[in-house]
Amino acid sequence: MTKFSRDGNFVVVRLEAGEVNALTDLAGQLSAVLTGGVPDHGDDPIRDRLFPRAYLDPTEDRAESDFQSVVHDDLVRAKADAVAAFLADLGAKTDARGRMKVRLDAAGVEQWVAALNDVRLALGVALGVTEDDDPDLGDPEDPRATGLALYHWLTWLQGTLIEVLLDALPEE
Amino acid sequence: MSTAPVTIEAPVSETATDLDTPWLVIVWNDPVNLMSYVVMVFQKVFGYSREKATKLMLEVHHDGKSVVAHGTREKAEGDVSRLHANGLWATMERDRA
Repeated sequence: MTKFSRDGNFVVVRLEAGEVNALTDLAGQLSAVLTGGVPDHGDDPIRDRLFPRAYLDPTEDRAESDFQSVVHDDLVRAKADAVAAFLADLGAKTDARGRMKVRLDAAGVEQWVAALNDVRLALGVALGVTEDDDPDLGDPEDPRATGLALYHWLTWLQGTLIEVLLDALPEE
Repeated sequence: MSTAPVTIEAPVSETATDLDTPWLVIVWNDPVNLMSYVVMVFQKVFGYSREKATKLMLEVHHDGKSVVAHGTREKAEGDVSRLHANGLWATMERDRA
């Protein structure tokens, strides 16, 4: 049941076929969002969430566009690279029954952390998740029920990875 | 201490306010990011202790936002871009206090 475990400087990931399929599907959708061209603030909530403004003050619009011109392309590329690495791992490391086992080095862990978080952010925005969406109080009649079940599973999955990583960060 | 006059050339593009006023880096609450994830990001990006990172995360969670760093405009922009790279909803504003 342990999806992520530490092995020295590495993190070992073990996923079942259904989990690999679900993550591949979600990461593919995120990849399409990331490669969909220059964001146009205001009409794409997922892109707005992944690439927020730095300056809220409208009198800083000039600084905002300078900031975006410096960082935006790199930010898109970093996120797209992470998703591509994530998809490559999901696709390459499966056995005959579709189960995946991969041993991630520090850079690989970073890619997985970033991709998992962005996949979950994008799904959360798409579903309009609020803090009231309690995983234990799901309404099966809710048209979002399937998406929310997936979302809550991602919450759990990401949480177990973060736990492993926090253990390696200093307490003090 | 020398009393010799010193000429200080102000950068053309920067106003006096830019030089004098520190900028605040703010992280806003959002319903998606995990509390443990936010703590991890604060530790990684700023090198904060677990205790400080947790305190800031709880401020974000309970108060809706928290000032997580401050400094020059340039430093604040760097912090904001690293927080965006980590998926946090971060903005910056002048410290008007």
